[in-house]
Amino acid sequence: MQNTGTSESQSKTSQFLTFTIGKENFGMDLHQTREIIEYAGITQVPLMPQFLSGVINLRGEVVPVIDLSVRLGREAITLHKRTCVIVVELHSFEQHCVLGLLADAVNEVIEISAENIEDAPAFGAKIRAEFIQGIAKKGEEFIVLLDAEKTLSPIELAYLVEAELQ
Amino acid sequence: MSLDAALQTFYVEAQENLESMESVLLQIDEGECNDDMLNDIFRSAHTIKGSAGIFGLDHIVSFTHVVENVLDRARDNEITLDHDLVNILFKCRDHMESLVSFSLDDFQEETELQQTGKSLLIALSPWSNEDLKEEVSTKLTQPLTSIQEAIDDKKCWHISLRLSNDCLKNGMDPLSFIKFLASLGEIKHIECLTDNFPDLADFDPENLYLAYEIALQSNADLATIENTFMFVQDDSDIVILPPDTKIDDYINLIENLPESKERLGEILVRCGALTQNSLEQSLTQQNKTQQGSEHEDKQLLGEVLTQQSTVPEKVVNAALNKQKQSQNAASESKQIRVDSDRLDNLINLIGELVINQQRIDLLAKKSGDPSLVEAVDDFEDFTEQIRDAALSLRMVPIGGTFQKFKRLVRDTAQELGKDIELIIEGADTELDRLMVEKLADPLTHIVRNAMDHGLESIEQRQAAGKPTKGQLKLAAYHDAGHIILAISDDGNGIDKERVREKAIDKGIINTETVMTDNELFHLIFHPGFSTAQEITNLSGRGVGMDVVKRNVEALQGNIEISSETGQGSTFKIRLPLTLAIIDGFHVESHNTHFIIPQATIIECIDLDAHIDIEGRHCINLRGDMIPYLNMEEIFNLTPSMKQETNRDKENSKRHSTELVIVQFGGEMAGIAVDKLNGEIQTVVKPLGPIFKALKGIGGSSLLGNGDIAFILDVPQLIELAIGDETHLTKSLISSNENSNQNSPTE
Repeated sequence: MQNTGTSESQSKTSQFLTFTIGKENFGMDLHQTREIIEYAGITQVPLMPQFLSGVINLRGEVVPVIDLSVRLGREAITLHKRTCVIVVELHSFEQHCVLGLLADAVNEVIEISAENIEDAPAFGAKIRAEFIQGIAKKGEEFIVLLDAEKTLSPIELAYLVEAELQ
Repeated sequence: MSLDAALQTFYVEAQENLESMESVLLQIDEGECNDDMLNDIFRSAHTIKGSAGIFGLDHIVSFTHVVENVLDRARDNEITLDHDLVNILFKCRDHMESLVSFSLDDFQEETELQQTGKSLLIALSPWSNEDLKEEVSTKLTQPLTSIQEAIDDKKCWHISLRLSNDCLKNGMDPLSFIKFLASLGEIKHIECLTDNFPDLADFDPENLYLAYEIALQSNADLATIENTFMFVQDDSDIVILPPDTKIDDYINLIENLPESKERLGEILVRCGALTQNSLEQSLTQQNKTQQGSEHEDKQLLGEVLTQQSTVPEKVVNAALNKQKQSQNAASESKQIRVDSDRLDNLINLIGELVINQQRIDLLAKKSGDPSLVEAVDDFEDFTEQIRDAALSLRMVPIGGTFQKFKRLVRDTAQELGKDIELIIEGADTELDRLMVEKLADPLTHIVRNAMDHGLESIEQRQAAGKPTKGQLKLAAYHDAGHIILAISDDGNGIDKERVREKAIDKGIINTETVMTDNELFHLIFHPGFSTAQEITNLSGRGVGMDVVKRNVEALQGNIEISSETGQGSTFKIRLPLTLAIIDGFHVESHNTHFIIPQATIIECIDLDAHIDIEGRHCINLRGDMIPYLNMEEIFNLTPSMKQETNRDKENSKRHSTELVIVQFGGEMAGIAVDKLNGEIQTVVKPLGPIFKALKGIGGSSLLGNGDIAFILDVPQLIELAIGDETHLTKSLISSNENSNQNSPTE
């Protein structure tokens, strides 16, 4: 299983899952995504802020679902037939944390080498800079690579919920 | 399997003996004393001494010997166990405990221990017939050897060297490594393996084809030995096994090395790392299933010991006999030890079973086949029984925890110069094992506080006309699906004025704050709050009570305080029965599903029939005024699925028509909902850290059809209802007053 990379650039290639919300393309490290499921209704949790769409039953596990669009400061996502839920798993906290993300469409898994990723622009992205891991270019399109740990930090989400409740 | 495991057995056995010594000493201290008890306590000390001897732990042997000697004389009625002697024996017991645990980990101060040992022996000397002066000066000044060290003396490190072929080309000579190892200690055995030697035609004189297996006796640590190979470790396979490595690890080593298993096994035996028998056993074990080998491990202790020639035959026979005895004892009490992880796993699985059962129930009812429905009903009964049985596996009586306080209370009372009697009630009340563990600390804090601040000194009690013996009571009982642990004393009570002063002093409240007694008492849970005028050893540092509160809340419980000046105080800890599966009542409000824990429900009534005053959240239930909460209001539920026309019609009126009356901690409140769906067993699924701030909802649960329901946190809701109502009443009263003033002539 150990892949002793011969050339340096090869070892720095990472895989990203790309998806669309509204008209924008986003990418997220494939290692942090667990599965993609069809959107089949959601149970709203009372009194929650708008970015927290609700909870779903994922084979016996109760998983919170985030409207990434609201989280990134855009309008709430419009639900339609092809809306799907990307299930992500974060490990950097005491216990692992499973969250769902609403997306309009999931596109593909792409490999991007490190040199093709540019730093987040200091301004103009309309997204908080710390949420962006980098920007990749694919053909004529830009893909915003999101930092899942920061965008979905349970500590920050909990803080936002608390603020909403007060 | 190694001496390490034998050591563990010694430790467990010593702990058991020390515990039995303690309980017998406590009984003797209370005035009961008979020959059986003296024999018991003597036997405990004797066993510890004997076992320590097997491991060559001379410091334990020499100390325990003196204790044993005194006990022996007491057994022969040469001396009597009076209060003073019992006190010293308690201390000796504690010292033995520290000696035993010192053997396992070297955290304690060696000289300090020696000092305690010496002073204890001097204290014991009046009761002993041996000349202890000599004992003290000679035996106890010898350095303490930990068990680990004792074993290390006899055993070797094992180093398996597979240097890379290029080693010689890189200018490294394997011989120099071996020479360096020899400087770290003594090389007991070395084997050179030539298996990799190629055909002569392919032989390259610049390549290294040799491999080594080395047994090294050394006091050096792992890092030092590893550093020997610093320059070659990158491209070589080097395995260093410390002296007390388990046989299994050796077997792993054999598995991982390129040479044949049989040959390597032989070499390890020659190095003294393994014995022939254990090697064969372990190799055959490998072929058995994983589980099989675990069981094998447990009964091997004695057998492996015999194979290790370092332990004399006689001693081992004695140890084996003892092991048989303890096995008999174990089978008598009909108990098995089970890994708690396995138990938790079982309970999780049963949780899934319960959910599935509900799904089948739903499907059966839909199908309308009466025989199927009946069969499913039976299935439900059994599922419930299995659930209860599984949960009961995790339940342990609280008595064991309470018992430990006997000693604490006795010692603390002496230290404080107070006369305190501990009364235990409801020792057989059962609690989830996880909770029992987490309760030990909070209970200790409260008990200490009660003894230190609550109960008065003998003189003060006499002056107040109370019996000199203060009472401290630990009680456990069930109440409305909860478990209550009550710690009460008949002391001074909480000094409200002092609490108030202190709180103002610390800036927690200001001078104008008006507080109820209950609110005032809860100030003591504030971090950094302590009313003790002088800081004592035991309490008064102001750390503790806030931790107590946090620990209890982490278990989904709460604490109530009641206190009467001069009469004493009571701390009541209220805890849920279990944390995993609960009986609930399924209700709906605006198509949102809620579950109310069954144990908190008193009754369900029709809301409209009981409305007393319009506009107030209060009903008249058979003459009692009870506040209620409307789910749709407090959770801001929108009737998204309802038809607009319906909504318009009811716009000005309440939507909810059903009222569930719940109670918790003596308070009652109503919860207004649209629809009652009936009883349901639910598996509690925590909502996760994100929802921590959400009040009124304690978790979530899955319904039979896969929908998610929210479990209501009744204590929080009641608090909210009462708070709301008090608020409303106040504003109503003031508006009434206003209207009275406006129309006085009416």
